[in-house]
Amino acid sequence: MTATTEIVWDGVQRGYIPGEQLNIAAGLSLHERVTDTVDPVTFEVIRYSLLNTNIEHGRTLQRLCVSPITMLTRDFQPSITLQNGDLVFLGPYLQYFSNCQSLTIKWILENRSENPGIEPGDMFLSNDPYVGSPHQPDAVVAAPVFVGDELFCWVANVLNHADVGGCDMGSFCTSAEDMFTDPPALPPIKIVSKGRVQADVEQLFLRQSRLPTNVHMDLRAAISANTVAAEKITALIDRYGADAVKTVMTRVLDAGEQTFVERLRQIPDGQWSHRIFAEGKGTGDDGVYAYQLTVRKQGERLFVDNAGTDPQIGSINATYASFIGAFLCALTASMTADLAGAYGGVYRRVSFDPVPGTLSCADFPAAVSPAGAYTIETMISLSGAVIAKMLSCASPELQRLAIGPANPAFYALLTGGEQNGRPFIAPNVNNMIGGLSATPHSDGVDFGGHFWIPEGEAGNVEELELLWPMLFLYRRAMPVRADGAGRYRGGRGFVEASIPWSVPGLAVALYIDESFPRLVGPFGGNPGTVGRFRLKRGSDVLDRFRCGEVPQDFDALRGEPESVQAKGPMLMAGAEDMWEWTGANGAGYGDPLTRDPAAVLRDVAAGDLDAPTALRVYGVVLAPDGTAVDEKATRQARTAATAERLATATRPSGKVPTVEADTAIRPIGGELGVVEHNGAPAFFASVTGRALLGPVTGNFKDHCAVLERPTSEVGPEYVSPPGRAGDRMRYREYLCPVTGLRIDSEIVRAGEDTLLGVQLAVW
Amino acid sequence: MYYIGVDIGGTFTDCVLVDSSGRHVTAKALSTKAHPVDGVRAALTRLAEEIGSDLSTMLADTSRFSHGTTIGTNAVLERRGARVGLITTAGHGDALAMMRGRGRVAGRPIEEVFQVHGTSLPAPLIVPGAVLELHERVDRTGAVVVALDPERARQEIGEFVRGHELDAVAVTLLWSFVNPAHERLVADLVAGVAPQVYVSSSVDVSPRLGEYERMVATVINGYVGPACSRYLGDLADSLREDGLATPLLVMQSNGGVLPAAVAPATSLGTIDSGPAGGLTGVASLARTYGHDRVVATDMGGTSFDIGLVVDGQPVMAEENIIAQYTYRLPHLDVRTVACGGGTLARHDPVTGAIRVGPESAGSEPGPACYGRGGAEPTVTDADVVLGLIRPKAFLDGRMPLDADAARAAVGGLAERLGLSVEETAAGIVNVNNMRAATLIRQQTIERGQDPRDFVLYAYGGAGPVHAFGFAAEIGVRDVIVPLGDGASTLSAYGIASGDVVRHVEHETAILAPFDDDTLVAAVEAAADAARAALAEANAQGDVTVTVVALMRFQEQLVNSLEIPVPLPAGARAGQRLLEEFHAEYQRRYGAGGTGLFGAPEVFAMRAKAAIASDVPPVGGSSDSARGDGTATDTTEVYWPTQHEWLTSTVFDGHAFAEAGQVRGPALVELAHTTIAVPPKATLSTGSRGEFRLRLTTDSTAPSMEGTR
Repeated sequence: MTATTEIVWDGVQRGYIPGEQLNIAAGLSLHERVTDTVDPVTFEVIRYSLLNTNIEHGRTLQRLCVSPITMLTRDFQPSITLQNGDLVFLGPYLQYFSNCQSLTIKWILENRSENPGIEPGDMFLSNDPYVGSPHQPDAVVAAPVFVGDELFCWVANVLNHADVGGCDMGSFCTSAEDMFTDPPALPPIKIVSKGRVQADVEQLFLRQSRLPTNVHMDLRAAISANTVAAEKITALIDRYGADAVKTVMTRVLDAGEQTFVERLRQIPDGQWSHRIFAEGKGTGDDGVYAYQLTVRKQGERLFVDNAGTDPQIGSINATYASFIGAFLCALTASMTADLAGAYGGVYRRVSFDPVPGTLSCADFPAAVSPAGAYTIETMISLSGAVIAKMLSCASPELQRLAIGPANPAFYALLTGGEQNGRPFIAPNVNNMIGGLSATPHSDGVDFGGHFWIPEGEAGNVEELELLWPMLFLYRRAMPVRADGAGRYRGGRGFVEASIPWSVPGLAVALYIDESFPRLVGPFGGNPGTVGRFRLKRGSDVLDRFRCGEVPQDFDALRGEPESVQAKGPMLMAGAEDMWEWTGANGAGYGDPLTRDPAAVLRDVAAGDLDAPTALRVYGVVLAPDGTAVDEKATRQARTAATAERLATATRPSGKVPTVEADTAIRPIGGELGVVEHNGAPAFFASVTGRALLGPVTGNFKDHCAVLERPTSEVGPEYVSPPGRAGDRMRYREYLCPVTGLRIDSEIVRAGEDTLLGVQLAVW
Repeated sequence: MYYIGVDIGGTFTDCVLVDSSGRHVTAKALSTKAHPVDGVRAALTRLAEEIGSDLSTMLADTSRFSHGTTIGTNAVLERRGARVGLITTAGHGDALAMMRGRGRVAGRPIEEVFQVHGTSLPAPLIVPGAVLELHERVDRTGAVVVALDPERARQEIGEFVRGHELDAVAVTLLWSFVNPAHERLVADLVAGVAPQVYVSSSVDVSPRLGEYERMVATVINGYVGPACSRYLGDLADSLREDGLATPLLVMQSNGGVLPAAVAPATSLGTIDSGPAGGLTGVASLARTYGHDRVVATDMGGTSFDIGLVVDGQPVMAEENIIAQYTYRLPHLDVRTVACGGGTLARHDPVTGAIRVGPESAGSEPGPACYGRGGAEPTVTDADVVLGLIRPKAFLDGRMPLDADAARAAVGGLAERLGLSVEETAAGIVNVNNMRAATLIRQQTIERGQDPRDFVLYAYGGAGPVHAFGFAAEIGVRDVIVPLGDGASTLSAYGIASGDVVRHVEHETAILAPFDDDTLVAAVEAAADAARAALAEANAQGDVTVTVVALMRFQEQLVNSLEIPVPLPAGARAGQRLLEEFHAEYQRRYGAGGTGLFGAPEVFAMRAKAAIASDVPPVGGSSDSARGDGTATDTTEVYWPTQHEWLTSTVFDGHAFAEAGQVRGPALVELAHTTIAVPPKATLSTGSRGEFRLRLTTDSTAPSMEGTR
């Protein structure tokens, strides 16, 4: 071995990227025959059967699993793939598993077909993030389906197990330094051989877990569900013939590709980027780290990279599998949801070229196990934001497909301990309540969940209290405030508080306390909520109970607030300690000062927004009785607000060039538009102020008035606890130099470069 | 004496009368939505005419009168319910609005769940902002954590009801199903300070774990309660004036009926009682016809409903969703997919294949052959092209169809698909049947049942036309068209035949290994509660109590197996329950060595107390008219499973009654539907007015696909 061994994308040292041609043992023959005699009716019968086979596969998993994450968040996914691993059908469950089974299967084909071999009745188990799993709790079980001695296709599933080991309870190991303290990663191993579960292999997996019984049930559920799905496909083959079924599978893929290509044709060539910062590389750190994503659309392909992302560090990394899984999930939800999971053809048109060794494409042995709780959400959010920017530049029909960034707040709080002499791990997945971000044409849906787990649901308080020893003091809706404001506002999230109950105390193993907002709304929308976790020690909760009160205000309680870090160590909560967790409002879209005052009034009338906040955030003045908008005063307030912005902003030197009155400006998003020349986009311009913002090949931000402030000064909603990372963050607004309306904004570290967010027709 | 059932549908109000000999007579009148009582009286008047009587005489001779209403369902769907407010535990008032984060997609067809675009939360049911949070708290064991201050609560409730001008109040306190003291106290306080207000309390309506679903149940009950009370009161008064001497019974979604005086307390139970009526009718007829396992299928214009009868009992479910709101109430499990006569077919330009549904032409414009401007092909248009429906015979000739329009619509699609018009029509019917069969297969196999062990009952306007296809697809050989000509009033028949029923469910959390004493105590508590609930209903007759244990492995929150508990539950009850649970688990999910795993748990006991309806078994048809026993006509039919035109005999109902039996290919045209008898299959009349279609092994191995 030489010292200069090249690191390859082999799923061992670096994330696995399959080549165009898979390297499969010669002894394994693949069924690849198609026929041109499948008529349109037979086609539909087979397609509908395959679709339902996959959906039924998911329902079986949901019923049989005991992990609350699996049952409630739908943190699982069944798939059907071609013989070579290309995805045919994905189910309507957790969507960032988009390509995870496909990658795992391709790796199995390349690395297991020779030894130990792939045979009828086999199944493989893998939870290796460098192969295909997003993080170690997500274990894939993949079953080859044979016709005679030919490998016909695969059925597979992946689900989040309750605990697969590692240094932190629940296996989201925030404090892991590398893969040697992270939970063990098993590369694909044969768990079922010729129809028989391999006891030794099964025990190897269970032995790593703090909850082996739960993992055992869920693993067996995964195996049974695969068996049933495989039998259904075999029955379909018996009835219609292998070639006909294969023809339908490949044509489903081709059709997905064609649909996507037709939509790509409606997008101008260009390049779009977005950036999100994370706080704390792991336990005890308050550094701020950048994740960046760029999509380039050229011709009939997308090219995706992560240049600008910081190097891998601590436990906030993700592997290649997560990187592409997150992007494909946001892409298909936005652009091809009508394909209902038949996404494999779409994947063919996306090329990934990530920089390895980075937070979003880490090399071995970077720790990745907490990725499922926040890093992947960050990457989905980035992807959603970038795709929304791209679609904004497209045809009006495609503009409507933008669904905006995902809410990147972490969605699960893990506590644990012992009750009745048995250990428990309690994954509270209540951020399934969610709150969708605003879109270019509508408010985000309040409590709308997450587009990447459409059916995910929060547990009832009673269900959680039944399972685990805690009492929920409140779980209420977030008010409408500055967080999530915009021309269209983000959907509302929730805030929830609990105490240990009927036990002396318990441990809080996974939590995140952010000190600045991470998600910026597209085209000048306000950031979403800062995702907080707070703990108060020695509170007077129990005294208040005795006095007939269920405490409803964290701040009003007596007691000592714990000085919590972004990603702190495990906290022990005693009987009088209360914790509060804020799920975030989604981000807004467009400048809040351009919101329809009637919509503001509607939120006030519903009791979700108070009048002073309506004025502060939206510049809307209500009549004294609060039942109508004072139009004149509103105009004045908004004019004053924009004037104040311009007065404090750094404005471009010289006279602002404007677009001639008879020249049309085609709106892109919010206040940003383009002026076309000979039918092609030529210059950026602001929609209301008609300021020319330079050629579309450049950065329009260079032509804006720029207003930069500490994030904490933007509003009380964004104030950082003293001494935390949030104190070092800046909110940077790019304003129309004529009107002072926001065109775009960023949250950045002090001194950060300006991001090139939208660029067209570079080639 | 007469037994009468009345079912109000969107278009028609249907009545069924059964007399002591089992003779059944039906009548219909147009529904009168603004004043439904008028439509009921009109239909009853016709019914009286049918038996050569008048309304008062008939009602005076009626010993049992049951009614199904859609008032509650419509109030929710059209948001025309009462001004209802919610009272709950401090800190949890937003649970109703937050909908556990699933409200955006709850109840949507699974293919649409992927779509984020255009989805939103449903409009609220409560008066906006009308939520009162009281300082009180009970924990999971029922212990009081924070005591309720009655004085303070009384004052807050008074202000709440007045401030929001409420007609109804829903009370759902946390853990009230374990310790109802606070909730009962609050309900009493509401009744005290606002006696005119309708009070809906969660421990009465849906005493189950899960505050969101319990709130929904309680709020909907309060939302529809006042209107249901008013309407049922009016109807009862009107019928009494017309001479009815027995209490008015009201159909519930659990397949039973309740006296109107009791029913308002559980107005929630009237929601979705229509489909439950159909399945109840099937279960009742199945007992008469001697069928133990039945797939009940109702294919109408836009939807296809299925329910199951297993071991003679209609299969039940807990979770129900209306207008994206999820609640739990034991109800007959009737599931729906969008595949009916009006379902649209189209060409998928990307794959080049045919797609059928889920979009529907609805009743306006309806299928192209209705001649109301529809141009896209529907399943009914395909039926017309194939000759399965003859334009001149549709609905007894009352609504001639436009065959050219049907052929043009299907022809347009045929051109895009590159198939002949016949093959396209056959494809539409076959794909639609495959969708129907998939739903049946999912419902049966999900429960560990093999659909081939079932008899299929087909009703609804589009049911008997297509039953041969979807029955064959799931491997069923025997198809019953119940009640012959009366199948269109099957729901009314079910309403007439429903037992008086109360269900009670108790949360239990009993972990294996089961202690027999604990188990027996829980079984008896549930059984006693069901008996007591039935006693409230003040109905006469022998009470039968049955109990099922709802079981799963502990923590398997989404699973639920219903294991019947033989009564009286004595020694070894626990052991027996455990064995049956394991057997059932293996039957459904395969032998995966379930014994290895976690502890099975009885998480709830469901007791049912019932008084049998005693409706006489339905006898022969009331129809005394007789034909000459020979075919009415012949026609050319392109059979979609044979892929060829065959000369097929045609009978009308009278002629067929005389003939008694026919071998396919044949069509039997009834007033509201046509029974298609494919080649080699036979159709015969049963002894009690039903039609029996027997498919041959040949026809159970169909070629659903097109010609190769």
